[in-house]
Amino acid sequence: MSDKPVKAIKLNVINEPKDSYTGGKSSLCPGCGHDQISSVIVNSAWENGVKPHRIAKMSGIGCSSKTPAYYLGQSHGFNTVHGRMPSVTTGANVVNKDLTYLGVSGDGDSASIGIGQLIHAIRRNVNMVYIIENNGVYGLTKGQYSATADIGSKKKKGVTNETQPIDLCAMAVNLGCSFVARSFSGSKKQLTAIIKAAISHKGFALIDVISPCVTFNNNDESLRSYGYVKDNQAELHSVGYIPHFSPLEQVEVPAGAYRDITLHDGSTMRLETISEEHDITDAVAALSALHKADAEKKHVMGLLYFDGDKPALEDDLDLHDTPIVELSEDVLRPSAAQLDDVVAAFRS
Amino acid sequence: MDRVVNDFTINIATANGTGSQSANLILLQTLFDMGIPVSGKNMFPSNISGLPTWYIVRLSDNGYQAPGDRTHIQVLVNPATWDEDLAGLEPGTAVIWNTDSKMEMNREDVISYPVPMTKIARGLNPKLARMIANVVYVGVIAELIGMDQAVLEAAISKQFGGKEKAILLNSEAARLGREYCANELTKRDPYTIEARDVSDDGFFVEGNEAVALGSIFGGVQMLAWYPITPSSGVAEGIIDWLPKLRTHEGKATYAVLQAEDELAAAGMVIGSGWAGARGMTATSGPGISLMQEFIGLAYFAEVPSVFWDVNRVGPSTGLPTRTQQGDLAMLYEGSHGDTQHIVFIPGTVEECFEFGWRVFDASERYQTPVFGFSDLDLGMNRWECHGFEYPSEPMDRGKVLLTQEQMDAIENYGRYRDVDGDGIPYRTLPGSGIDPILYRGTGHDEDGAYSEKPDVYYKLMQRLKQKIDGARDNLPAPIMREEVEQDIGIVFYGSMENTIEEIDDILETATGKKVSTLRVRALPLHSEVQAFIERHNTVIILEINRDAQLHGIIRKEYPVELLSKIHSVAYSDGMPPRARLYAERIMEVLKEVGA
Repeated sequence: MSDKPVKAIKLNVINEPKDSYTGGKSSLCPGCGHDQISSVIVNSAWENGVKPHRIAKMSGIGCSSKTPAYYLGQSHGFNTVHGRMPSVTTGANVVNKDLTYLGVSGDGDSASIGIGQLIHAIRRNVNMVYIIENNGVYGLTKGQYSATADIGSKKKKGVTNETQPIDLCAMAVNLGCSFVARSFSGSKKQLTAIIKAAISHKGFALIDVISPCVTFNNNDESLRSYGYVKDNQAELHSVGYIPHFSPLEQVEVPAGAYRDITLHDGSTMRLETISEEHDITDAVAALSALHKADAEKKHVMGLLYFDGDKPALEDDLDLHDTPIVELSEDVLRPSAAQLDDVVAAFRS
Repeated sequence: MDRVVNDFTINIATANGTGSQSANLILLQTLFDMGIPVSGKNMFPSNISGLPTWYIVRLSDNGYQAPGDRTHIQVLVNPATWDEDLAGLEPGTAVIWNTDSKMEMNREDVISYPVPMTKIARGLNPKLARMIANVVYVGVIAELIGMDQAVLEAAISKQFGGKEKAILLNSEAARLGREYCANELTKRDPYTIEARDVSDDGFFVEGNEAVALGSIFGGVQMLAWYPITPSSGVAEGIIDWLPKLRTHEGKATYAVLQAEDELAAAGMVIGSGWAGARGMTATSGPGISLMQEFIGLAYFAEVPSVFWDVNRVGPSTGLPTRTQQGDLAMLYEGSHGDTQHIVFIPGTVEECFEFGWRVFDASERYQTPVFGFSDLDLGMNRWECHGFEYPSEPMDRGKVLLTQEQMDAIENYGRYRDVDGDGIPYRTLPGSGIDPILYRGTGHDEDGAYSEKPDVYYKLMQRLKQKIDGARDNLPAPIMREEVEQDIGIVFYGSMENTIEEIDDILETATGKKVSTLRVRALPLHSEVQAFIERHNTVIILEINRDAQLHGIIRKEYPVELLSKIHSVAYSDGMPPRARLYAERIMEVLKEVGA
């Protein structure tokens, strides 16, 4: 017997090692913000104790949409077509409402070709997490501006962007999206708390994550470079997350002001006030924070808006408690007698 | 004057949105309930109110269902088309016209029946006069051709099911029309009817509603749709019947989503199919155009998904309220790259129901998008139906591995590996935890991992081809009516079924030749189709489009030595096929080739 102590493998609340949540090797550029987000997704799902096979990884097309191959290798996934991940997820969600739908998209996917599908998924309040890995450029086609590129920002090659950007958070707030947050791929702690909370939320959770493109948009003149975003954040609050399986009373009470939000699965999102409280139930306050930061060329960070009471699409449809996909033929195919009744109704 | 019994066509010219459709359906139902073989065609505009609309009622003891060659009784109500309608009539046509239209009857050579329709209607109810005037002409027709009053009143009751006030008012209007005709007009035309034996199992149904019911008995779990003429009736039929047929323990066993556009509808269908459910959409040509990218994804990633195309006239917005078989080629080879799809082609309302459930079985069996191909004529008109046959087989959910034991029993499993030699791999479902993979529209190897390797791509595409090819003889076989001569054969499909018998009779009368017919009911083509062509000396491919789309598929796929005897008659003007028009074109081709 060796004297060397056996290193205990750390397990989560459902006794799974972290390895159960990892995926394949990334083929993105070294240092890409998207890879940081992938690792946060792995951590969040593991620490939250979600069964890996009960997650569905959804994506569209682009650098961001390739990432589902790099995390959650035990989950089924669907890398769909450009900008159309929301509709595919919607169709899957209504027939199997019991899975956790984790969508990853980019700014090309979400702010241009797929903006309509994003809008309608928000409108329906599809129960899913929707992460936008937002870098302001099209990476896979070598660095064209996307529709979220900031005015006055300049990427590595080419001219300064003078076209008004689309702020997807402002759009989501206006649409009544039930969970709207912005974060940064470099803010691991904040992003982890937000993604965990989004998983615990029932309804559409939009997380706009600024995720610098190290190859095409990480130069000094860019408003989405690591350095710029790191130094120019307007933090709404500090975000914490206490899972439903950790007793809230055992968590240390913050010294300053804070607000707890109980999420659908009983977990808690704790928002600690930094200077003044941001009211997450006030859409006008959310828009005001976004506009104020814009004027100062800063990026808002935190939970902008939240509505935990809005019914999700699956609630509106009055679905059977058993996911539709699990119903058997005797339930799905009406009887011969019912067909006779149908025909009799035509004949009468 | 010789009487003409049960063999004439009534054409009713009104304006859209004036309530004439109810009156016309009452007329149709009454004739049907008297046992007279009858068909109705609604030639309506792309408009809600005001544009011209025509309803064509064909009575035929021969059972002919196409619009006839000419009009025998014309009803004129709409001033907008009055002059043109009147000018187009053959001498001797009976014309029932509204004297309150402020239009003139300027033809001496027709049989004129002036009726103050609006005045009669106003006497009953001034507010609803315009609507009731339509039922007045039904009363006039009833008296002229000899419709049974009791049957007529029963049809009115059926049309306004349960609404006592409307039933009373309309019955009275029909009676007044009838009275006016009896008292003020003298019958001078030969057109009359005789009741026939009423088949007690027959009823009227639209193809769209039959597809809807078939889908429900096929166990549809998710319907996503975007409204478009002429397919909306499929989705609306499903929405109408689902709560009655598919509620379990007080809850829905289905989800219906009205999508934001056809792209989203296709995405939802594919999402539900990926999750393991039976998802479908119903649309028309413009919608299929929009869905092309998704169709390719479902083909390449091998996701079951059902798409109904109720064809209207293209290209582009085309003639949205007219009929055509112009989408066939697009369905068969939909999306970019090399693709090939299964298409079910019903020709009757009974088949609309049957294929409504069969498409799901085929889609899950072959893990591929499957199309149902109907058209406006079949979908939106009412057709005689003799009942729907309950699905003869249990649902075929295809090769789905639900347990780890099932998975372990397969040697060398891979999501896209052909382990049975039929080109069809096994799949697992999200949430099962069994062999989770990332589905993708990019190139993939047999395990589903991304690959750009030449041999991997080549092998995958060959397997997909083998898979769909293997479906040929498991899809609905063609229906053949073969003559002993085996000289001339006509190959056709879809709603042409309702005109073929009349075409056949015209050809035989004119040429003395007996022709065999074969109705294609699915793509890829069943091997019986080629055998039929081989057995005949001359074959005509008959279809309702310009570009001879089925002919093109046959030319592409069949041995070159067969092609010299295969000829095309393809014609489309938006109207439901008129028998003589197609028969004449067939005769021209036969003459040209010396057959």
